[in-house]
Amino acid sequence: MLGELFKGLGTTLRYIFKPPVTVQYPEVKRPVRERFRGRHELKRFADGKERCIGCSLCAAACPADAILVVPAENDPENPVSHGERYAAVYEINMLRCIFCGYCEDACPTNAIVLEHQYELSFYDRRASIYTKEMLLAPPDKGHGDPPPILRELQRRPSPPAQIDL
Amino acid sequence: MADVTITVDGVTLKVPAGTNVVDAARMAQIAIPVFCYHPRMKPVGMCRMCLVQIGTPKLDPATRQPLLDEAGKPIIAMMPKLQTACTTPVSEGMVIKTQSPEVKFAQRGVLEFLLTSHPLDCPVCDKGGECPLQNLTMEWGPASSRFDYTDKVHFEKPVPLGDLILLDRERCILCSRCVRFQDELADDPVLGFDHRGRNWMIISKSDPPFDSKFSGNTTDICPVGALTSSDFRFRARVWELNPIPAVCTLCPVGCNLTLDMRHERLMRVMPRENAAVNDIWLCDKGRYGHRFVEHESRLTTPLIRRGEQLVEASWDEALSLVAEKLEATRRARGGAAIAGLASPRLSNEDLYLFQKLFREQLESNNLDHLTGAPGEPAHDDLGALLGVGKDANLMDFGAGDAVLVLGADPEEEAPLYVLRLRSAVQRGAQLIVANLRPTKLERSATRAARYLPGGELAFIHGLLRELLTAGGRVTVKNSGFDDLKRVLNDTTGERLAERAGVAAETIAAVARAFGEARRLVIIYGAEARSAGPAVVEALGALLALSGKAGQPHSGLIALLPGGNSRGALDMGVRPDARPGYAPLVRPGLGARDLWPALREGQVRAVWIAGLDPAASMPTARTALAEAEFVVVQDLFLTSTAQLAHVVLPTTSVAEREGTYTNAERRVQRSRQARGPVGHSRPDWQIFAEVGHALSARAGKQTPRDDDAWDYLTAAEVAAEIAERVPGYASVTYGALAATGKPGAWGRQANEAIYYDGTNYENTEGVGIKLPAPVLTGAASINLAPRPVPVPAEERPLLLLSQPLAYGGDPLLRGSKLEQHVPAPYVALSGADAERRNIRSGDLVRLDSAAGSLTLPARVVHDVPPGVVLVPADLPGVELAAVQTGPRTRVHLVKLVV
Repeated sequence: MLGELFKGLGTTLRYIFKPPVTVQYPEVKRPVRERFRGRHELKRFADGKERCIGCSLCAAACPADAILVVPAENDPENPVSHGERYAAVYEINMLRCIFCGYCEDACPTNAIVLEHQYELSFYDRRASIYTKEMLLAPPDKGHGDPPPILRELQRRPSPPAQIDL
Repeated sequence: MADVTITVDGVTLKVPAGTNVVDAARMAQIAIPVFCYHPRMKPVGMCRMCLVQIGTPKLDPATRQPLLDEAGKPIIAMMPKLQTACTTPVSEGMVIKTQSPEVKFAQRGVLEFLLTSHPLDCPVCDKGGECPLQNLTMEWGPASSRFDYTDKVHFEKPVPLGDLILLDRERCILCSRCVRFQDELADDPVLGFDHRGRNWMIISKSDPPFDSKFSGNTTDICPVGALTSSDFRFRARVWELNPIPAVCTLCPVGCNLTLDMRHERLMRVMPRENAAVNDIWLCDKGRYGHRFVEHESRLTTPLIRRGEQLVEASWDEALSLVAEKLEATRRARGGAAIAGLASPRLSNEDLYLFQKLFREQLESNNLDHLTGAPGEPAHDDLGALLGVGKDANLMDFGAGDAVLVLGADPEEEAPLYVLRLRSAVQRGAQLIVANLRPTKLERSATRAARYLPGGELAFIHGLLRELLTAGGRVTVKNSGFDDLKRVLNDTTGERLAERAGVAAETIAAVARAFGEARRLVIIYGAEARSAGPAVVEALGALLALSGKAGQPHSGLIALLPGGNSRGALDMGVRPDARPGYAPLVRPGLGARDLWPALREGQVRAVWIAGLDPAASMPTARTALAEAEFVVVQDLFLTSTAQLAHVVLPTTSVAEREGTYTNAERRVQRSRQARGPVGHSRPDWQIFAEVGHALSARAGKQTPRDDDAWDYLTAAEVAAEIAERVPGYASVTYGALAATGKPGAWGRQANEAIYYDGTNYENTEGVGIKLPAPVLTGAASINLAPRPVPVPAEERPLLLLSQPLAYGGDPLLRGSKLEQHVPAPYVALSGADAERRNIRSGDLVRLDSAAGSLTLPARVVHDVPPGVVLVPADLPGVELAAVQTGPRTRVHLVKLVV
């Protein structure tokens, strides 16, 4: 009986000398796992062009109908993305989003990626709609080169469905 | 044709002889994948996708009887190689295997091969989601490709074939559906192939490129995303669209279409299958000409004139002002001082309430659906009284049937008729095209006649005389047959042929064809109607004397301007008859008499709904500017609206419910696709509210329901029309939703391949065909020829206005077709031009008894000498200034600059 009591207190005693596990959020933020699915980011290629081609496949895959894409045709002189088409409007309603990542799976150009930002709270419902400007990665934070067929040919082909990135 | 028995994948069935194997298998619910085959075109076997195993019974060479095996079954000799199912007609005892390993191997091989040069850019392709190549690859294709993906051939893209259609050479599988559509069905052979091998490509051979009024259909039947329209380019993905069934109001065909909406925005217009109207096709005007519904110049609020300005007002203000002013005018000067004009594009509900408002509340018969321009021919009654019968369908016309197209240019007036008439000819029908000048349809005619200007009546009388001498009898209620006989017997066939300028043999042959035909349809258009009512009545007599009047499949079809002129006539929006062609004893003023009456103060208040007379008629402009009270109800602030005291914004066809009656008197229902623009309201609702205010003002708010003007929906108005308008009985919204036999083709549920393209299945109603009153015995026709006034010919040339599909239609605004509207010109023959030393581009002045008009000349070889043509309704051309009637005699003077 007493033995058990001291065994328990011993555990307490042991933890007194260990550093606390409490993270002082929001001063301190705990790193998330590599494959955590947080807020989306619209990626760019290294040359700064948007990866998104406005194909709406993310919206089609979305089980919560959280994504709105309105496509448009690129101005050949001043293209937004590689190829003929880009997203003129890209919006995600974060209140509808269930962070399943299907949009990421559906994306043929790896443009939409669920990143590690998870602080998504709003004062009103309208604020939960993230527009393209809010979702886009900064122009200098692009990565990867457009596929060779896009770079090599002196023309404006469309990005194919299976870009190997 | 006799039926033959075949076996497809073990299913034995009977199919008509001559059916090809693809269609035969489809009757057994077995799908054979195809790319190049299309049920409306001749098979070519280009894509090799439909390869199947085919065997036929082995025949005994001596007896020609099938050899039987021990079990007593015929021995089947399989063909050594796979056969293309689309080019193989069925034969007795044929055995077809579509699932065998050889067939599957071939199908996978064909698809793998097709995909070697396909860019696989489905994410950015407008066809993605409704693409037969995608569907066939999913269902019949290989899971992977042995081909090196980086080794694809790439081309510059997109290549514009015209300003409406873009070609993506990488996606094209060279099935030639588009080329064959243009060659076989549209008779615009403007597409072709160029180069060889990998560089083989579709090109446009015409100038301007892709010069066809049916070009949009090639994007429908393209089995890949090679042909896409610039109108829908990257607007949305097809699975995001919300298709709303509607009816086209741009021409009298009344094509069924689908407004594909997304977020209250019109993304594209697609055909909706209706075998009795447009089959699976749609002309470019219907497909691309609906951008007006979201044009930024649409009116959004009522406007009231305060001094020089039109200022925004509320509906209450505007409507009570309208009711007050009209009531005051009626009290002070009687109903005859009020007049109303309503556009022949409004729905039947609008037109019915408009005339009810005028006849019952305002006590006025001054109603019309024309603008009153001198070029407008008289109202056409015979197109309804002797209209095609309840079962008439040009899609059924084939061998043994005849169609006469007289004085019409269907390509410009009602484009879809070109496709329907050509398909009837391909099925073996006789098509006789008689015109004053060559038209495109003439090329498809089995017999063409070209009469002299003014010779149309002699031509028809020649036909009548032939029919009469051949013993023609009239089988319907009529009067004046003896007068007609006397007039015909007073002359000779040779004299009539000479006056018509057509060989007597041709007239005899045409009359013989009519006499022998099982069914006869006569189509007439603007040119025939411009010659006066005598010509139309003679056409009615022609139908009667050929013995075809009274047949449910035969009759007259009048091509009238606007999408619902027939509805306007049926609803009695005219000064001389009530709904259902019941003549009035004391007719009111028609549009043509309105303008002088308005200027002289006989008429004080005018209500104009959807028409723009001020744009093209100086007389209307001055009269309206001085009128006491003008109400204009329109989509846009037109020149007429700028002269109004009250402007009421209305909803377009996309924002409202309504029924429309087409040229063949088929009533069809159109649905609401989006909310109203701003505060605009449907026309019928505006009329109902003014009617309500007027009846309340007059203290006539009696318990009688029909005077209460408390319609809540368009369906209630339609129900009243069904009750009160003769011929429209049982045409309710519920009845209009019936589809009858479900469509055999089209985008159908659970169908993996769209054999005939991406047109929509008709699930919302094919409309109701109204019976013709003469055929049902409800009316009789007058056959007595009316005396034709001989025009004084002091001026040498005959001026005709030429209707153009892409003319100055205000509804083309905002669409890509605006660029197709020609600059104003006057077309004259080479002979006339030479005599006056005129070359194309020279400025010429037309002088008539009414006035003069200056236009650049265009020398056109196919205009007959003695005739000058000016396109009707082009912006900036005031034909009314020079016209004295539908046909005007003019001088032509070359202006030296």
